[in-house]
Parts: sequence; C-alpha cells; structure tokens
Amino acid sequence: MFFFNLSLAEFTALFAAVSGTVLALYLLDRSRRKIRVATMRFWKPSEKPPEAKHRRRIQQPWSMLLQILGMGLLLAAIAQLRLGSPDRSSRDHVLLLDTSAWTAAKADPRRRLIDEAKIHAFRWLRALPGSDRVMLVRADALPTPATVFESNRAAVEQAILQSQPGASALNLSAAFDFARRMQRQHGQGAGEIVFAGAGRTKQNELPDNAALPPSLRLLPVLEPTRNVGIRSFHLRRSARDAQLWEIFVAVRNYGRVPEAVPLLVTFGNAPIGSSRLTIGPGAEETARFEFRTKSAGWMEARIQLRDGLAEDNTALLEIPEQKQVRVAVFTRQPELLRSLLAANPRIAAAFSAPETYKPDTDADIVILDRFHPAQPPPKPTLWIAPPAEGSPVALAKSSGSTRLTRWRTEHPIAQGLRTLDLKLEGAELFAPSPAIEPVAEAEGGVLVAAQSASRSVFLGVHPGLGAMKYELAAPLLMANILEWMAPEALGRWEVDGESVGSIKVAIAPHTDPASIQVIGDDQQPLPFSIADNTLQFYSAARGNVRVRTPAGETVYSLSLPDVGDTPWEAPARVRRGLGRIAGASSPVQDLWPWLALAGAGLLLAEWFLFGRLRLPVANLPSPVALLQRFTAVFRRTS
Amino acid sequence: MPEPLIDQKFLERLERLTLHWQKSFPGLVGGHNASRYSGAGQEFLDHRGFHQGDDLRAVNWRAYMRLEKLILKLFQVEPRVPVRILLDTSASMTTGEPSKFDFGRKLAAALTYVGLVRLETILLQPFDSALHDPITCGGGRHRFRPVVNYLEELQPTGPSNFAQALRQFIAEYPQRGLVILISDFLDERECEKPLQYLADFGHEVFLIHLWGEDDRRPPYNGELEIEDAETGQSVKLNFDDEARAAYVEAFDNYARSIRDLAMRKGGRYIGVSTATSIEQAIFGSFVEARSA
Repeated sequence: MFFFNLSLAEFTALFAAVSGTVLALYLLDRSRRKIRVATMRFWKPSEKPPEAKHRRRIQQPWSMLLQILGMGLLLAAIAQLRLGSPDRSSRDHVLLLDTSAWTAAKADPRRRLIDEAKIHAFRWLRALPGSDRVMLVRADALPTPATVFESNRAAVEQAILQSQPGASALNLSAAFDFARRMQRQHGQGAGEIVFAGAGRTKQNELPDNAALPPSLRLLPVLEPTRNVGIRSFHLRRSARDAQLWEIFVAVRNYGRVPEAVPLLVTFGNAPIGSSRLTIGPGAEETARFEFRTKSAGWMEARIQLRDGLAEDNTALLEIPEQKQVRVAVFTRQPELLRSLLAANPRIAAAFSAPETYKPDTDADIVILDRFHPAQPPPKPTLWIAPPAEGSPVALAKSSGSTRLTRWRTEHPIAQGLRTLDLKLEGAELFAPSPAIEPVAEAEGGVLVAAQSASRSVFLGVHPGLGAMKYELAAPLLMANILEWMAPEALGRWEVDGESVGSIKVAIAPHTDPASIQVIGDDQQPLPFSIADNTLQFYSAARGNVRVRTPAGETVYSLSLPDVGDTPWEAPARVRRGLGRIAGASSPVQDLWPWLALAGAGLLLAEWFLFGRLRLPVANLPSPVALLQRFTAVFRRTS
Repeated sequence: MPEPLIDQKFLERLERLTLHWQKSFPGLVGGHNASRYSGAGQEFLDHRGFHQGDDLRAVNWRAYMRLEKLILKLFQVEPRVPVRILLDTSASMTTGEPSKFDFGRKLAAALTYVGLVRLETILLQPFDSALHDPITCGGGRHRFRPVVNYLEELQPTGPSNFAQALRQFIAEYPQRGLVILISDFLDERECEKPLQYLADFGHEVFLIHLWGEDDRRPPYNGELEIEDAETGQSVKLNFDDEARAAYVEAFDNYARSIRDLAMRKGGRYIGVSTATSIEQAIFGSFVEARSA
C-alpha cells in the first residue's frame, strides 16, 4: 500500500491537520445544539448548572469519529492510495522494435514478423507501471527514435502501429548502443532495454554478448525456417560485343536445409534465361546469363519459390538504350586510322576527304587529320597534327625529331599509358598555355593537349605514323581520347541491383574526388567517402543511385531488401518474454474511487444522524419499518 | 412524484365507518335518531288532511281518486347536522418527523371521506391565528377529489391563536354541529378557554390532539438552544434526564387537561402520536373512542 501523490509523512501531516480542523469545527458546532421546537411551554432548564469544561467535551463521539473517518478516506482518495509495492521512481525504458527488411517475412501465412513483434510490444507496454516512460526506437540499419521518452501510452502505441518493415538489415549492435546512449542522456531512472523482433543481423553487426545491457529484455518472434533470396543482380556490357549484356544473379539460402531454387530472368516479361540452383544452407550461388539487345527495357530476375520473405524473390533493373558514336573522319589517308577506330565496336566511323568538310557535319565526334578547316566544327574534335598555319593551339615549334618525356597520368586521357623515351619524327609541339591541358610532354613542348571546354584534343603526332604506329600506346591513347570525348556512350556502363544500405564501389587509383558524382533518384548528390580506392555511400531508401567516375557510370538499383544473414543467439541470462517486470510485479490497484465513495458515504451518514437534518438515532425507523416503507413506495410506483 | 395524501386501499376500508355525534342540536334532529318532524325527506311518515298552502306535490292522488278527499303525505325529515373539521395550520404543526401537519391533513381527508360516504355535508376549515378559506363538500364519495386537492395545496404558516380563531368560527357558523378539531393545541396563550367557549356555544367538540415523539419526549441532552417554530424566540438551556422527566410530566398534564375539558363538555378527545400510522390511528384510537 502506498500513496501515489503523497509520502506517508505528508499524508499523516495532512490527516492530522484535517482532523484537528474537524474537531475544532465539531466543538464549535456542537457546543450548543440548536433545536426548533413547536412550543417552549414545557421546556424547563436543568437544575444542575452546566460545567465550564462541558463545552470542550465531545458529546457525540460517534459523530466526531464518523467525520474524521470520512475526511481521512477522502484525503486518502485525493492522495491516490494504491495497493502494491511503493515504487515511486519513474523509469525510462527503450523499446527497440525491429523494423528491418527481414520483419516483412511471414512465419504464419496471416501475419508478418513485425506484426508479431508489435503484439509482444503492446503486451509489454501494458504490463508497465503507469508512471514509467517509454521511448520507441525503430531498429534497422540505423536506429531511429519514433518517440521521446513518453508516459502517454496512447502515443507510443500509435507509433508502434505506424511502424513498418524497412529495406535495410538490422544493426543490432548499433541499436543497443543507441538505446544505452538515450537512457544515459535523457533518462531519469534507467529502465529496461527491450528488443522486440527477429534479431537477424549481419555477421559484423552482431552485438558483443559480453557487453550486453544488463537490463535487456527480449521479446522474440518465431521466424520462418525457409527463405531464399536474391542478393544481387548485376548487368554488365560485354567488352567484346556492345550489344551483349552479361547478367549475374547471386542467390542466397538463408534457411537450414538445402534448397533447389528455380531462377528465371526475363526482359520485357519475355524469358531470356533460367536456371535451377542447388544451394546449401547459408550458402550463396551465382548464376550467369547473357543477353543480346541494344534496346532499353526492364530486366527482371525472379525466384520461383514460396518462402518466408517474398520481397527478395524479385529484382528489377532498367537497361539503358545502346548508343553508337558516330565519328566523321576527314583525312586523305583513311587506312592509317581505320584500324584504330575499328577496335571499338561502339564507334561507327565515316571517312571523308578534307574537301568535303562541312562545319555542320552530322556526327558526334569530328577527326581532322592534318587538316585545318576555315570554320572549325562546333563539336568535340580531335585535331591530328594540325598545320602550323591556322592551328587552333599555338605551336611551340615544329621539330623534325623529339622524344616523349612524360605522360600526365592525372588526366583521364593519359591513364594507363606508360610509354616513354619514344623518338618521334616530324612531331609538332604545342606551346603551354592556360587554354590547354597537357596530356603528354616531349622535349621542347606539349605533345598531346586537351581542352575541356570544347571537348577537343590536339595530337602533335599521328598515331598511325612513325614510331607510334608500332607502340601499344597508340590504340590505348585513341581509346582514351574517344572515351573522354563521348563518355556517355563509350564509358563503362554497368547496372547493379543491390540491396539498400551501405554500398562500396572500387574506383581507379588516384581518382580525383571532385570528378566523382553520386546522385540519387531525386538528382540530388549523396554524400560519399573514399578510402583505399573504395568509394562508399549509404542509402536507406529504395531507388536508383548513379555513381559517375571518370572511368564510367554505374547505376545501382537499390530495390532488394537487405536481409541479415546471421540470426543472433542471445545468452541465456538475458530475460525473455514478459516475465516479471519491475514495478509491475504486484498489480497496482487504484483505490481512490472506492475511498472517495466510502468517505462521502460516511459524511452523509453523519449528516443524516447528527447533522443539520437532526434525525435522532432514537427516532430512526427500524430496519423492518424502513423495508416496509420502501416496499410500499415500490408498489405505488409500479 | 409526491406521495399521494391518501391511497385507494385505505379509502375502501374507510367506507365501513360512520361519523357519530352524541348531542341533540336545537332546531335539528341530529344523530341517528329518526326525526319527529315531517318535512322534505324520502321516508314516508304519515297522512293528514290537506290545508290551504300545503304543497300540492305531496297530495296523495290515488287516495283522492278513491275517497274524493285531499290527503297529504308526510315524510320523515333526514338529519342534517353540520360536520365541521377545523385543521390547525400553524407553524408549530411543522415540527417533528413525520410532520404533524401532514398527519393532520391525512386525518382530515380520512374523516371527510367517511362523512361523504354517509352523505354528510362537511366543512373543512383551516386556521392558525384566524380562519382561512374553507371548503364545503357533500353529496357522496365522488366529491372527494376536490377535498384532496384543497388539502394538498394547504401550507402551514403563522402563529396559532385559538381564542381569535374560535371566536371567529363561532361568529361565522352559528348553527351548532359536530366540530372536529385537529391540532397540537400548542398556543403560547391559553387554548383551554376558547375550547370551552366553543363547547358551551352548543357544538359537540371532538378534539384530536397530535404530537410528535420529539414533542412529548425530547431525545436531546446537554446544552441546547431551542427556537420556537411560531415566534422565532430562542432560549439557551441545559437539558438532562431530570429536565426531560419534568418536560414529559408537563406535557402529559397539559394533554390531560385538554382531554378533561373535552369530556367535561360532552365531547371526545383522542391523543395521537405521529409515529403511529394513519390506519392505526383511525381504526384503533378513533374506534376505541366511540366505544368509550
């Protein structure tokens, strides 16, 4: 028994004060009783004189007792007297509700894991003492608080109801750390940390069982025993055929028994490949397909299997349209360049004589071989050994012989080129200037330069003539130049179907971070980090993310749910289920309505028996007479 | 819904009763003795010869056809002794629980009903220090409803003054009859003398003395401040068992003096405590009083 609003000392002091007041009022009121009589004819005062102390005597002790008792009961009602243990300290609990992608799975055909977790959470919430506060945290890859520490149960229940499975895997370690931090920072009295859910996480995100919170309580749910899901869906253009897509589908068996998984890949709902994978428990298999197309469309990989989680049985990717780069070459010696341009299947080269040159040539790239038109083309242009007169870039000198001394490998055009000390005959050297970016340098000037503003490249030497003709650097240089001039068409293009969460992308060494863009569905840049030639970004929402690097563009279609691969086994010391909740061990009963009723009843009885109504006890009708009166009234009314 | 003044079952029991009076009133053949005088009645009394001025409706025409003489039929006069019920509506009637006033109203209603059943003419006259508007009823039990309505609307107010009220009564109602007086007979002045005058005037008085248990034996102890319900005066006194005994003795002496007065003047007296039920009062005390 305890007082919710008052301490025992406060209650006693109040009760004493009220009793004293009642006694004083009683003595004042009852010192001389007023009576209304029909006549004063027969009244004669007593022969005995009244004693002086008489007024201070309690003449009607029962009346006094009834009043004090009634007031005491009313006071106890105001103080909210309760039966139960006197747990006066309000505690702050953190309820971690598993909202990872795995909670969308169904162990029961009618109910998802998150629905089970919600039911457990509701039961736990209702078993808590009313004064405790609860913070609801939705736990997936990032623990997110849904409420502050809240004593309003309706608000917490509403937040629980609104929780839905996310797309990321559960980071259990981060969730526990977050809950502890919240209790330290905001909590008044640390209560329990309750985890409601499946607890399936990733191997590297498992919590340290030795450092678990001591007040941890688990509300586990029954998980489905069978689940197979697509882990990744990767499309890559074949290097040897521009219209050929290489398709890789990785499938994982999360269950405990081997599974024979029928896998189907479709393009525009037409099957383009199928496979039957036999996957052991906890293992992952990759199926490879090839598909030739140059049109855009939707490619889907689908597992035809009924298992616990349906969301990871399908992955969908968008294939972009295959474009060819049209190159207009104005040369008198097309055979020198034909082999270099034919090396790339995505290039369609058209050779013409310099006399046929028109500034509005219908092409994506223009190559001018030792030729200088009166009006330069308004398109990306490759100038090969431009004549000294009318050269778009100032020449340093036109030497008969020079030596290649340096490749500026920080420039994309020079990437992968190592050839040095090459003796070049009849090369032209450009004068260094802020208008051009040197790509390769030779003795006496710049041999290869680029101009980013116009997407133009200036070659001081013909790649199909002289010493360059026999060097590996020639086709590589040509490929780099064309890729730099038309990156959208010639860059590396990959489409990757991944699950949401943290994505890692390998990039070329020494890549300038400024040249990298990571763009989300809303065309807004996403933050990323680069460490050890690996770009890393995080996306918690489903959608497409484009990673543009100088080497190409990769589209990540984050449509697959990220399912944790490791079920967490909690130590035996961790409490499970509702069990005994501190402060709620003995059910607390509110007594105040009954106390208030009893108090009011006593005061009313006192008023009837001794108060202004002045119904003398001697004149009270007997219980039998009262019963008869009531019966008579009842008969009349009926 | 307020409690009805009197219920139907009780009324049915009352139909067996009759109001009796003992006196013979000058000018009237009262009581339940047959009248010696002929007059307008229903019961045949005698024949006599027709005289000038007699009512032709009373001529026995059959006898005339047979004897060719005018013979007059005489009828027995029915007694029409006026029955008047005086009900005390002073403030002293409101004290006690249940209220003497309510009890008195019920008694008055019951007695009126008994009279109506026997085709008496009843006058119901409230009074305190003076007479108030009365109600007269007669002609049978179906005239009872207006009486009930009248009694239900009565309100007890003011101090009582028997001398003034009874003087006014004697002046307004010179015809003698049965006077049933329902009161607590508590008047700061004397009420014995006015009652004596009333009886001496020729009325047969039937005094119904009402009291509450508190009136007769106050249950209080200690220091009291008593307030007169009629005058509002208050007195502080010390009250104990001895004082209570003296009180009871004084009250009983007073009741006895009222009773003696009634008996001495050929009337009747009934003392009724409001703690008893109305049925018990009518079928107990009243019936016993008749036989006494």
